[in-house]
Parts: sequence; C-alpha cells; structure tokens
Amino acid sequence: MEREVIEKSLYEVIDPELAINIVDLGLVYDIQIFESNDVLIVMTLTTPGCPMHDSIVNGVKNRLQKIDEMGEVTVELVWEPVWNPSHMSLEAKKQLFG
Amino acid sequence: MPTANIKSDTDIRLPLSFIVFGLMAFVVAQIIVFINSGSILQGHFRIPDIWSAAHLLLLGFAMIVAMGAMYQLVPVVFLTSIWRQKLGYLPLLFSCSGVVVFAGLLAFSPTNSIYGAIIVVIGISMFLIQMVFTLRQTEKKSIMYTFVFAALVMLFLTMAAGFLLAYSFATKDVAFHESIFYTHILFGVVGWFSLLIFGFSYKLVPMFSLSHGYSTHYAKYAITSYIIGLLFVSVSFWIQIAYVQSIGFLLLAIGFTLFTYNMKIIYQNRFKKKLDKPFIFSLIAIVLGNLIHIIAVLFALEGVQSAFHWGILLFSYIICWIIFSILGYLYKIVPFLWWTKKYADHIGKEKVPTLKEMINEKLAVVLFTVLTVSVLLLIGSMLAQMAVGVWLAQGIIMIVSTVYAVSIIVVLFK
Repeated sequence: MEREVIEKSLYEVIDPELAINIVDLGLVYDIQIFESNDVLIVMTLTTPGCPMHDSIVNGVKNRLQKIDEMGEVTVELVWEPVWNPSHMSLEAKKQLFG
Repeated sequence: MPTANIKSDTDIRLPLSFIVFGLMAFVVAQIIVFINSGSILQGHFRIPDIWSAAHLLLLGFAMIVAMGAMYQLVPVVFLTSIWRQKLGYLPLLFSCSGVVVFAGLLAFSPTNSIYGAIIVVIGISMFLIQMVFTLRQTEKKSIMYTFVFAALVMLFLTMAAGFLLAYSFATKDVAFHESIFYTHILFGVVGWFSLLIFGFSYKLVPMFSLSHGYSTHYAKYAITSYIIGLLFVSVSFWIQIAYVQSIGFLLLAIGFTLFTYNMKIIYQNRFKKKLDKPFIFSLIAIVLGNLIHIIAVLFALEGVQSAFHWGILLFSYIICWIIFSILGYLYKIVPFLWWTKKYADHIGKEKVPTLKEMINEKLAVVLFTVLTVSVLLLIGSMLAQMAVGVWLAQGIIMIVSTVYAVSIIVVLFK
C-alpha cells in the first residue's frame, strides 16, 4: 500500500462546512500503513464536538475502502496537538480568506 | 495522545420536528399580528389576539425552535449524548399540541387558557428534566454550561410564573397579577432566551467563523452582571422602587455589553473572513440587542412609565435580538441536520453537496435585508402613529416570514 495513494484519496474527503479537503485543512496528523495493508489515520477536527465528527470520520473510511487491496481502516480522532489555523495549507488559507 | 470521546448519535428527526412546527407557528403569529395591526398602533398589546400571537411567536416559534436546537446543540457543545433521547418525542408532542391549544384558548376563551397552559407545562417540564439529566452527565463544567444551566433555571421560573398567570385568569384569585406578569416576561424573554443564546454563541460563533486563540475572559463577568440585573429588575416589579429597577437595567446592559465585547474578540480572531450571510445576521442581532439594553437603561433613568413605549422596546428586543438570532442560526442548523440525514453516509463514496450548497444564500440576503428594513419601518411607524406604515411594514414582515419558512422547508427536499 503506497502512502501517496492514501494521501491523494484523503484530498477527496471534503469538510462540508468549510468546503475544503481535510488534508489542506491540516486535520490529518499521521498515516500509518501496516504490512497487512491495514491503515491507521490519526486526525483531528477544527473544534472539539464538531457536529461533522461522524460524517468526516466515516468519509475517511469510505474513501480509503475504495482503494484496491485496502485492509481495515481505523481512524483515531485526537485533540492533541490542538488544531489551529497554522496547520492549514496555503491553498486552504486562500479559500478562507476569500 | 488524548482521543476523542464524542457521542454524536442525535436522532435528527427530533430537532427537525420541533423546528418545522416552530416555523409554522412563526408564520401564523405574523398573520395574526398583521390582522391586529390597528390594535397595536393604539398601544393595545394586552388583548386576546395579541396574547395568542405573542405566545405563538415566543412559545410556538422561539421556544419550540430553541428546544429542538438544544437536542442537537447540547451534544455538540457539552460532548455528551441526550439523556434517554427517545423520550424527547414526549416533550415534542405535549409542547406543540399544548401551544396550539393554549394559543387558541388565549384568542377565543382566555379564561380557559389554563387547560392549554397545563399541556405546555407538562411538555416543558419533561424537556427540563431531560436537559438537566443530560447536563449532569457533562464532565467539564465550562462557562457555556453555566449560561445554559442558568437559562434552564430561568425557563423553569418563567413557566411557574406563566402557569400562575393562567391560573389567575381562570380563578381571578391570584394577588400581584401585574408583578407576576412582568416577572414572567422578564425571566422568559430576557432571562431564558438571552442566556441560552449567550451560552450557545460561545460555541457557535467561533465554530462558524473558525476563530482560534481568543479569550472568553469576559464571560464570567457578563453572566454575573446579567443574572444580578435580572434579580434587581424582577425585585423592582414587587417592591416598586425606581432606583432598584434602574440598577437592574444597568447591570443587564453591562452584562450584555461584556458579552458583545467577547463576541467581538472572537470575531476579530476569526480565520474565515467571508462569513455566511445568515450567520452575519445573527451577529448583527447581538449589536441590536445590546443597543436595546442601553435604551432600556435610558428609559429607566428617565423614569419612562408609558406602557406603549416599553411595549415597543420589548417588541424590538424580541424581534431584533431573539427572533433575528434564531432566524440566522436556523439557516445553519437546518441544512446541517438535513445534510447529516441524507448525505453523511455518502461522504467519501461519492460527491456530496457542501452545507452552503444546501441553502439559497442570495435569497437569504434579500429576506434578511427586507426583514430588517420592514421591522425598522414598523417600529418607526408605531412611534409616529402612522397606521399605513404599521400595516405596510407588518404586511411585508408577514410575507417575508412565510417565504423564509418555505425557504427553510425547501432544504428538506434537497
């Protein structure tokens, strides 16, 4: 399982409130790929208790499951380090600053 | 690395049912007010039709929508699930049917309104019990917790005073009717609604503006000043000492101003520069609410006794602060609820709309602008005793309210 393929797929998971993908938002902290092709995504949300919590986590799972030979996908949601806007890519900042 | 422990398993049919009922009550209330424009112009606020419209607006719309919104927002804000969520359909049933019976009896048979009040009280009591048990599960007691808990206490007191009022209508046997009446309005309008909007704003404003690194330092002073202000003003209704009331209104204005200032700090720390238009409307409502609190202080200091002028100020507070806030937030809450129901399972599998694509923002801008202008026209016309202006403004408000309700309902078909 190639990391690049996973990363590229995660770009397609869009935060429906901000209309920006979760990678550019800086929500994905870590991607771990195991020999069995199981994948662990460590990520956060822009705010604790984000009402999109379930949707975004399921979105990550749904998108990664579409990759050929993907094993089990686990999403671990963490609050530390706390997300802050400096995690965003330049592209995301441009979109938000209008 | 601390992991998330969020239970966001809210049954969205519950908040949506409350909200849809609330929107219908909103439109009917505006139609009744329109029909009674002449009485309002003459300062006749305390007549059966206006009681009915006022309760449809405040109980049927604002209260019911607030109840529905709490079933969605409490888990979001306090990271806990609703205690025995399925029981929420009982408050829905009792509160909504109670409002219909209560508003109907107020209009056609006020002396029997106690029966409608009983049904509403049962519904709200069930809601209160469910919320108190839900809040008890909260691990971290933040300032938002304090605001929302204080709002629930105010709701209980409002309900108790309201029930006493309905009882006095039925039996003509309760002393201090006027004092209870004013306390009922104060705790309901200024206490319950304002404290609830304050509390949720500390979560919603940063969330919708993507604000980070802000301080909530002023929140504890805001709530302290506001609650003491509420106590002072309520006491003044019973002991009739002018300076107690003036101090009360001053403390309320200070509390509201501190809240506004804290919201300004959050706004200045936002990373989303282009805010959604309906959300901006909710922010404007904060400024209007603050302004009305300052006018109330001036009224109290000047010793204004006119029920007509206080009535218009109260009307302005309800519309420009409470109703505007709710109308703005509904444009965010309803698309989210419907999106979750319809698209949450499809994200990552196929292209799904963003929340912004669920609403017609251009229409929202037109509606909110026309609504603001017509409310200002209405207030101005009432003050100037211009019958045509009152009739015209309320007519426009009625049409805008209907289009607004339809524009929200349309989201449920997307």
